[in-house]
Amino acid sequence: MTPETAYVTPDVLLAPLDPAYLADETPARTGLRWSAFLSADALPRAATLLLQAGWHLEDICGLDVREGLMAVYHFDRMTSPGRLAIRVLMDRAAPVLPSIADIHQGAEWHERETADFYGIAFTGNPNPAPLLLPEGMQGHPLLKGEAARAPLAALLAVPGREDTVLRKAEGFTLLDPAEDAKPAKPAKARAAATEEGADNA
Amino acid sequence: MNATISFDSVLHVVLALVGVAVFVGLNGLLLVYAERKVAGFIQRRPGPYEVGPQGILQAVADALKLIGKQLVRPDRADPLLFWMAPVLAFFPVLLLFLPIPFSPLLTGWDVNLGLLLILAFAGFNVLALLLAGWGSNNKYGLLGAARAVAQSVAYEIPLLLAVLAIAFQEGTLSLTAIVGGQGGMPWQWNIVVQPLAFLIFFVSALGETNRAPFDLPEAESELTAGFHTEYSGMGFGMFFLAEYANMIVACSVCTVLFLGGWKGPFLDGAWWFLAKVYGLLLSMMWFRWTYPRVRFDQLLNLNWRWLLPLGVLNLLATAFVMKL
Amino acid sequence: MHSTETLWSNGTSCPAASADGGCADDQIAGDGYTCRFEQGARPESLILNMGPQHPSTHGVLRVLLELDGEYIVRAEPVLGYLHRMHEKMAEVKTPAQFMPNMGRVDYLHALAWNWAYVGAVEKLAGIEIPERAEYLRVITCELNRISSHLLWWGAYLLDLGAFTPIMYAFDDREMLLDLLQLMTGSRLTYSSFRFGGVYTDASPAFVQGVRQFIPHLRSRLPMYTALVTENIILRRRIEEVGVIPQDMVTRYGASGPVARGSGIAYDVRRAEPYSVYDRFDYEIPVRHEECSMARYMVRMAEIEQSLRIIEQAIESLPDGEHMHPKAPKPSFKLPAGESYFAVEGARGKIGVWIASDGGKTPYRVKLRAPGFSNLALFAECARGTLLADAVAILGSLDMVIPEIDR
Repeated sequence: MTPETAYVTPDVLLAPLDPAYLADETPARTGLRWSAFLSADALPRAATLLLQAGWHLEDICGLDVREGLMAVYHFDRMTSPGRLAIRVLMDRAAPVLPSIADIHQGAEWHERETADFYGIAFTGNPNPAPLLLPEGMQGHPLLKGEAARAPLAALLAVPGREDTVLRKAEGFTLLDPAEDAKPAKPAKARAAATEEGADNA
Repeated sequence: MNATISFDSVLHVVLALVGVAVFVGLNGLLLVYAERKVAGFIQRRPGPYEVGPQGILQAVADALKLIGKQLVRPDRADPLLFWMAPVLAFFPVLLLFLPIPFSPLLTGWDVNLGLLLILAFAGFNVLALLLAGWGSNNKYGLLGAARAVAQSVAYEIPLLLAVLAIAFQEGTLSLTAIVGGQGGMPWQWNIVVQPLAFLIFFVSALGETNRAPFDLPEAESELTAGFHTEYSGMGFGMFFLAEYANMIVACSVCTVLFLGGWKGPFLDGAWWFLAKVYGLLLSMMWFRWTYPRVRFDQLLNLNWRWLLPLGVLNLLATAFVMKL
Repeated sequence: MHSTETLWSNGTSCPAASADGGCADDQIAGDGYTCRFEQGARPESLILNMGPQHPSTHGVLRVLLELDGEYIVRAEPVLGYLHRMHEKMAEVKTPAQFMPNMGRVDYLHALAWNWAYVGAVEKLAGIEIPERAEYLRVITCELNRISSHLLWWGAYLLDLGAFTPIMYAFDDREMLLDLLQLMTGSRLTYSSFRFGGVYTDASPAFVQGVRQFIPHLRSRLPMYTALVTENIILRRRIEEVGVIPQDMVTRYGASGPVARGSGIAYDVRRAEPYSVYDRFDYEIPVRHEECSMARYMVRMAEIEQSLRIIEQAIESLPDGEHMHPKAPKPSFKLPAGESYFAVEGARGKIGVWIASDGGKTPYRVKLRAPGFSNLALFAECARGTLLADAVAILGSLDMVIPEIDR
């Protein structure tokens, strides 16, 4: 593990990768310390930098939103803790991400789980078989139907986040309040819509 | 002993065999009950409690259940080897009881090479375990069989060395004569003269009989049930009975060699013999319910690095002292 | 929706397995996992399929092993036999409806999962918790941690072939279950935390019982040490077995006693202080040997530290409400936004991430199980060890399969 003197905050660490968005967060509000949007290509490089700086991967969460499929990588540090969320948005038609299992070995299972639930393909995963779901199962249970999808801005709406943005690329509009952001549908309708979506998979 | 084989002596042996079979069967029931009660006592629970007063009929119920169960053989197992194994495990054990002197009057066959006979027929047990593991066509069984062979072959040597030390000292291989060479008082027993040999013998006997902490051939948490994974009903029952019979033989031989056999401070007789045997059996149970299991390489290391050299040294020392 | 044919996450179909997951090669018996695993094996090695029903894979873990004699050449855990898709259930249930699920993720330390979910919801919705409820949460959660460690201790020794200790451990654990029953109404799958407090207030009987339990368990711990911890056979079985260096902990994201047994003083109660843990005086036990024995010693020391916390909490238990007067009704709506809440479970860092779009049910709930990351390092750790060591390592990771499979 890197000595404490070498500790670099992730905003500096990730700067060479040109994140589209990087913000300071309030742990008391969201449990996060930093959040960033990265491109899929920059992910392995970011994972390498983070591992060298003593960060470990907590989990990988998939997310199905109106803009496409998203994967959220939560990283944390054993010494000087503070959670970093790296978000990568993918095209729904071809959800592919580079695997980071060769860097953070623990990612192998997280990636396989995300592949099971969302159908995201991780290229380079050493053992890309289904992890939690049976082999040969059709469909991905956490994908949502068309009607049930919420815009990303509604999910990640944190009041006051705009004030702590450290970097924001030109044309980054994912977190801008969407015009047609409707309030959520009743749970029942949404569940039905989701099931429909899963069946269609 | 007369060298010619008369009708009388054959009849005597046959009767003895029947007696031994009854003795082993009854003892199996008794020991199963005792083992479970001892386990219960050590684990602060009552143990068998429901079948009969204090659960005394539990072992009978278990035996009836085992007898009543269908015999099942895995599809791709070798039928001949698979069924031969439990038979081979159980029946040779009966022969081991023949030369054991329970008392001067109560000896199946007082042969002057009794010790040799026991050691020779005890070797059958390994073969049975090997056949069971191999014939089951089961990987856990195979691993268990491999362990059983390595373990039995290894532990036979220090066992033999310990026995030889006593044989040297007494100058005979007849079990009756060995008891005759000892007195009735505890300080006249061989254990006082040969404490190291006793220790080696008892530890090796635990290894030979596959008892905890050396129960590796059937290590439950590693090999599910080892060599008898695929056996149920009386197939399993025979192995089970053989294990207890082997324990009795090991403890009997130990009693004869080191603890003065049927002799006691007063009223010599079979009751002293049985009391000593059951004392040893209880300590075997006590070990089982107290210690964790050793690892296989540690088991073999214990044998090759400690028991075997110590056994050789002990034997040399005995020979040296006897020569003086 | 994208391709319907792909079975694998890299977008290809399995080379050796047939479409239904079975094995295309009829020389190999078994499913797709066995089939692929055997293809990588050397011709002379033995493939052993351990589990999902095996005495020492606790629950339904399955491990594929490639053996050279009794040495492990390769290991691959196969998961999913206890998968219940809690994360999907979380999306169709309101937070209050989902609470019972939290008692069933890790049934040995259910209250920590209770806390992680309740904490995430409270953080998102800005719900306040009365001080007394915080103390009651600390007390019950630590009691639950002790009961989890006691059960682990007994079961681990069972794995190592010692049959008796589990009976002694259960003897003490039974008293804990009686106490927790008073507070939660159940004995195993607790779901007694509420948004804004806890289900019931501490009765005098509970307080009295906890006060009596602390010296009782303290008087038992020396016996455990003398009877088991100092046993030479046990020490030889687990000392220097299953060495997990610090970099392996980082690469796999392991936490809890696994990390602390490798010399990393990481405990969520200190790293991300929550509730009132900062008011108590306790230590984070750390060992530097990195082996199974180190993890064993860490857990035994944690029992004592939990007792310290409980002792202080029960003596300084403030008066007041056990539910906040402004606690929301069960049918409340979550505000839009995200929140991540982590707590220290008996097995490590438990994390719950909630993303809500403002509906009655959360939009997405991610459950981060510590056992998942801890077990992931088994394959690397077990390489080159003996079969018996694999059992010792698996046990020392203290896995609870329902938590790993979720």
